[in-house]
Order: sequence, then structure tokens, then C-alpha cells
Amino acid sequence: MADDSEKTREALLAELASCRAQITKLERNRLDPVGERLLAGLLQASPDGVLIADSEGTLRLVNHAAEVMLGYGPGELVGKPIEVLVPAASAARHVGLRKAFASEPQVRRMGTGLTLSARRKDGSELPVEISLSPLETPDGRFVVSSVRDVTERRDSEMLQRRQAEALERSNDQLQQFAYVASHDLQEPLRMVSSYLQLLDRRYHDKLDEDARDFIGFAVDGAKRMQALINDLLVYSRIGVREELRGRIDLNEIVARELKSLEVAVREAAAVVEVARLPMINGEGGEMGQVFLNLIGNALKFRKPGVEPVISITSEHRGDTWQITVADNGIGMDPQYKERIFQIFQRLHTRSEYPGTGIGLAICKRIIEGHGGSITVDTAPGAGSKFKITLPNRRPTP
Amino acid sequence: MKPIEILLVEDNPGDVRLTREALRDGKMKNNLHVAMDGVEALAFLRREGRHTAAPRPDVILLDLNLPKKNGREVLAEVKSDPELMRIPVVVLTTSADEHDVLKAYEYHANCYITKPVDLEKFLDVVRSIEDFWFTIVRLPSDVGHGPK
Repeated sequence: MADDSEKTREALLAELASCRAQITKLERNRLDPVGERLLAGLLQASPDGVLIADSEGTLRLVNHAAEVMLGYGPGELVGKPIEVLVPAASAARHVGLRKAFASEPQVRRMGTGLTLSARRKDGSELPVEISLSPLETPDGRFVVSSVRDVTERRDSEMLQRRQAEALERSNDQLQQFAYVASHDLQEPLRMVSSYLQLLDRRYHDKLDEDARDFIGFAVDGAKRMQALINDLLVYSRIGVREELRGRIDLNEIVARELKSLEVAVREAAAVVEVARLPMINGEGGEMGQVFLNLIGNALKFRKPGVEPVISITSEHRGDTWQITVADNGIGMDPQYKERIFQIFQRLHTRSEYPGTGIGLAICKRIIEGHGGSITVDTAPGAGSKFKITLPNRRPTP
Repeated sequence: MKPIEILLVEDNPGDVRLTREALRDGKMKNNLHVAMDGVEALAFLRREGRHTAAPRPDVILLDLNLPKKNGREVLAEVKSDPELMRIPVVVLTTSADEHDVLKAYEYHANCYITKPVDLEKFLDVVRSIEDFWFTIVRLPSDVGHGPK
């Protein structure tokens, strides 16, 4: 018996403690008048529109931001069905959706990923984003809608989309232009040079020295023009063949280019040292072109009387690879560091060093198309160090 | 020996003349026939219109950019016509574009040559065509499966 009464006493004490805790909690939750005013102020100050509707869909509370956004006067919306704010086209459907939400309420964003429209008082429509949350009260269930005007965001998205489309169109046109230009320009050029040469061939003995010189200059001009057109074509096609991108081994790429440069390397009696290079994501043909141009330049701009040494190295730097192509050639004034990467920019006369002045512009465009960058460290007589930085990321499967 | 028949499909008179010049002092006696557009080329090959007496060419030299019907279309038609498909087609064009090269072989061109800008090289190319197709290879017309 004693045990039983002991248990009862303990049970009563526990119940008492639980009651106290509940009272304390209720007291804490009950707002003082200041708190209630703050809450009302918060609602009115909210930059988002807030609307509360009852289970019948009748608007019971509308904050200032919602009234302004929707073009209504103070208090004008209270008592109206929420459907007055839904565009006519979807009002009928909205009733059904509202009822479905009322039977299974949960906090959610309405039309996630869609831009919804709200109907303003003057009938115009406003792009909005809406979040819904159920509100249970002793007076019943309500639905709180938080409405945000997304006109600006939608406009900027539309602008962005239009700009992207315009850019793509302009790129396509550029590709087409470059192709047509290079192709159709070649033909008349070929006529000019071929017939000048035929003239020279057939009438060589009848022409004097001057005439032969003039023909020579004209033919040389036509050939240079052809080289420029061909380079322009190469330049315009960079980045076009995206389908050829994949995981590539730079060791193989460099080896392949060195093979095609074998004769030039031998003629220059150059030493080419290639360190272990990484695998990267890219287009093999384009990356090959980069090394071809850089090694080709290193051979071309070698220092007279000095054995050319070209070294290709790589270094892992966090999220990037740095690949360096260094030579001991003539180098250049560092003030031209930027300019050499621009199309058709040359630092030497053609009689000193032949070329169209597009090689490094091609390199830059390819490297940038691969998400990287290319710079040069150089000084007159001190060789050049071309530094390529490429992102080191695994391919997205 | 019977002269070789060459059909040159080319709209540029300058190129026609150059080809003629190159073939003039060629090793083989040849007849160069010229069609200035794709429609005329096919009419020649099918002996239609004013070409009823046209000989069957031993080889076709085909430019790609032509009026009315371009070289790719001519190539596709020749290579899908049982009467014409055995005639070797040498694509001889200004274009060095890889897309053009691949497309030409897809349409079963027998070879693709980019016209060199340099006159000497151009003459060499035409002479090489002559040499290769008329002295080195055996043509369908040599083995009796060619034209009647």
C-alpha cells in the first residue's frame, strides 16, 4: 500500500511540473501589446506582398506591399475572393488548386520554376513568384501567400536570353562569312597570281628586268594575301568543333607536333626538352596548333650563333595546370607583351622574319576557348617564356 | 591510240584556260570538254539536249562551287547513277575546307585536290592527274566494263 501511495504522489508531482511548464510556455508565447504592434508593423513593412485568405478563399488580411503591387487602395481587397487576383485564363483552375491545397496544406512555392502572373486591379498582369504556407489558428485554417514582383528579374532574363541568341546568330554569321570570304577570295587571287606567272613563263625573254621585278612583287603580294586568308580561316574556325572535345594527353599532342616539325628542328639544330605533361580536357587538333605555333616561333626567333634550346614543362597549381614553353631566342621588349597576341600584329619586317602575324592570336583564342589564359615573360635577348594556364577539372560525365 | 576524253566542270574561264594550258603539252592526246555549270555537266554525261553526240568521259574534273547545281550535287547524282558511277571523279576546287573534303569523299569522290595558288604547282597537279589516271591506274573503260 505504501508503495502505491508513493507512486501516486510521484505521479501527481510530475503532473504538476508538466502543468507549470505548459503555463510558462503559454505565458512566453502570449504577446504583449508592444509585440503585437511590432508584428503588425513587420507585416506592413515587408517588401513582399503578404495576403491571408481563409479556407473559403476570401481575403482576410492584405499588407501594404501587396496593395501597392496589385494596384488596390488600403483595405480594398479584404473580403474579396482571392480569385480576383488571378488572371481570367487560369481563375477557374485556381479554385480547384486552392481546394487541393486546403485539404493537404504544406509550405511550398507555387509554380516552382515558372513565372506566375497576378492580375492587378486595372486588369494588367504582373509576373510574380508566390510562396504558400498554411496557418492553423483557433479560428480555423488560413493560407498565407507571400507574393514577390519579379518583373525586373524576368526582364533581365529575357534580355539575357535575347543577347545570347543575338550572340549566337552573330557567331554563326561570322563563321559563314569567314568561310565564304576565304573560299571565294581565293579564286580571284589564284587567277591574279597564276596569270602573272604564266606571263612571266611564256614571255620571260621578251620582258626586261623591271617588268620581271614588277611581276615578282605582284605574285609575292598575291601569295601573302593567300596566306592571310588561310590564317583567317583557321582563326575563324577555332572553337567550332566542340564535338571533338574530350580527355587529351598533352604528351601525345606535343610528340605529334614535334614529329611534323622534325625537319625545322633539325635545320635549326635545336634541342627540344619536353617534361611530363598532364591530361587535360580539350580539342586535340586545336591544342596541337598551339604547340605547333609556339615551338615554331621559338625556332623562328632563335638567337644567331646560339644553339636553340626549347623546353616544355608543366606545373600543377591547385585547380590549374601551368604549361610553359620557354626558349633562349631573341626575346622581345616587354612592352609588346599584349600586342603580340593580337591578330596580324608583327614586331619584325617580313624580310627579317616571315609570317602573317596571326600565330599567337590563334594560340590565345584556342587557350581562352579552353577556359585558360596565355601570357609571356620576356626581355630583349633573354628568350621568351610562354605560360599557358589551363583549368584542371575532370570531365563532367 | 584513241585520245582520252576529259570533262572539266568549271565555271571560271580563267581556270578552264589554265587547265587547257596545262594539258596542252601533256603526254597524252586529249580532248577537253567543258561544262560551265552542274546542270550542263549532267546533260553532257547523259547526252541530253545539245550533247547527244557527247563522248563518255574517261575522267571528270569537278569544281565544287558551280552555278545552278553545285559540284556536290553533281557528284551525288553521278555516283548514284548506275550508268555513270564508274567514271572516276576528281574534285578540283579552291576550297581546302575540311568539311568540303569529308563531304566529297562521303559522296564517293575518287579524289580531292585543292587548286594550288602557285602556277607551277597548278600545272603539276593537272599533269599528275593526267599521269595518274591515264598511265598508272586501270580504268573501267580499259577492262570492257565501262561505256559502250
